[in-house]
Amino acid sequence: MIRDLTTPDADSASGVTPTADRQRFGYAALALLLVGIVLGAAIGLVIPQFRTPGDDSVEAGFFRDMSTHHAQAVEMSMIAHAGSATPSIVTLSADIATTQQAQIGYMQAWLRDWDLSPTSDNTAMAWMPDSAGSVVNGLMPGMANPEQLASLRKATGKDLDIQFLELMRAHHLGGIHMAQEAEELSDNKDVDWLANSMVAAQQGEIQLIDDLLKQARSS
Amino acid sequence: MSTPGPERVPSTVKVGKTTGQGKPPTGKPGQNRPAGKGQAGKGGKGRKPVTPVKVSGGRNWGPIAVAGAVVLVAVGIIGYGVYASVQGSRDWTEKMADIQGVVDYRAQKNPQIDDRTHKDGALTYVTSPPVGGAHNGTWQNCMGDVYSAPIANEHAVHSLEHGAVWITYKQGLAADQVATLQDKVEGKDYMLLSPYAGLDKNVSVQAWGYQLKTDDVNDGRIDDFIAAARVKASMEPGAGCSSGNTTTGPVTAAQNNGATMPSAAPSNAAAVPSAGS
Repeated sequence: MIRDLTTPDADSASGVTPTADRQRFGYAALALLLVGIVLGAAIGLVIPQFRTPGDDSVEAGFFRDMSTHHAQAVEMSMIAHAGSATPSIVTLSADIATTQQAQIGYMQAWLRDWDLSPTSDNTAMAWMPDSAGSVVNGLMPGMANPEQLASLRKATGKDLDIQFLELMRAHHLGGIHMAQEAEELSDNKDVDWLANSMVAAQQGEIQLIDDLLKQARSS
Repeated sequence: MSTPGPERVPSTVKVGKTTGQGKPPTGKPGQNRPAGKGQAGKGGKGRKPVTPVKVSGGRNWGPIAVAGAVVLVAVGIIGYGVYASVQGSRDWTEKMADIQGVVDYRAQKNPQIDDRTHKDGALTYVTSPPVGGAHNGTWQNCMGDVYSAPIANEHAVHSLEHGAVWITYKQGLAADQVATLQDKVEGKDYMLLSPYAGLDKNVSVQAWGYQLKTDDVNDGRIDDFIAAARVKASMEPGAGCSSGNTTTGPVTAAQNNGATMPSAAPSNAAAVPSAGS
């Protein structure tokens, strides 16, 4: 294009300032438009990264940690489901195991959707302010320790029921605390929706657990 | 392109100015430059005061510098955004490939390592510790479990298939070094730790199809390995780590107790147990 234009230049290069300015303006505008299109396309490519939570976000931290937290609830519920002879415990444990495993699926799918790893090397609870000290031996609030789990695996009958209910009660309290914090800290509607449903469901289950504990202890 | 010839002429003046420095053939642009300046100045007085500012042939460096700086900053920001997003979405296998000393057994396409069938009884493995292959129908519990005695390969390999990272250490490793490894495992699902008899290094870390061996429990590559492979190395996305075997020691004959997968082929099992150690 430049070469096309240089030829006529020699013929009539003198005294054409007004049109020259207009032409220059036209080309400048065209160049600006092109630059604008390129910048716009680049920004468009990048912007999803700014609109979804990042690797160090509250949302990602909550989903990763709650996945691990939930996984232990599933573990304890499966032990109780397999070992308890009390119909209400068998039902409750099935409810907790299936619900929380499905919620793990939600959380892992969202992390994947956000192009984030399902795990990270961050310390547990790092997303939550003032959480230092709440993690003991790698265990988040409410989580049972290896000795408690070993004891639960060995327990039978009424002993199993009571141990399961007590461990799950503490587990729910820790989980509710985390979910409430996430709901407060995050503006992401998916996070808020899921965290809110966890709080509501687990608070309801704690009432049920308290009733079942009373029955188990008095039987 | 559609503009008539004469109208295009002026733009050549501009072209001449920006690119014509080393192009004497046209002759005119070079001579025109000082004249152009003069014209622009005169034109500004006589006609449009605005136009000379816009394109004034004599380079008006101020606005150019500002515009250039703005463009540079914009390009920098966007460039970083692109870089960050590309880095962030890098595949976990690429991160594994970046860790020095990690052996990628998936790349070898060894049918014995890639074998994912369920078999009862004692099985033999190509590597020590194993990184894949046929395994017991019951996985080893890998909810951040810390085992103080060796566990059965046949169960542990099933845990690797579920996405667990299995850290093994030389039997008899000093307690404080074991404690360092324990810190990496406790409280984390898809992790398990156990001593391993006859290990050639102090520590060996396994995911399905990957292995890293080191003598230093503080080797940062162990953490890199865990960060890259945990859960992501799963051959069965969504498969869990609980409801597994929680005992130590060798696999018991025809052990297939827990919540195992019905797809395991129990009919084949009877033929296999003689596979030896």
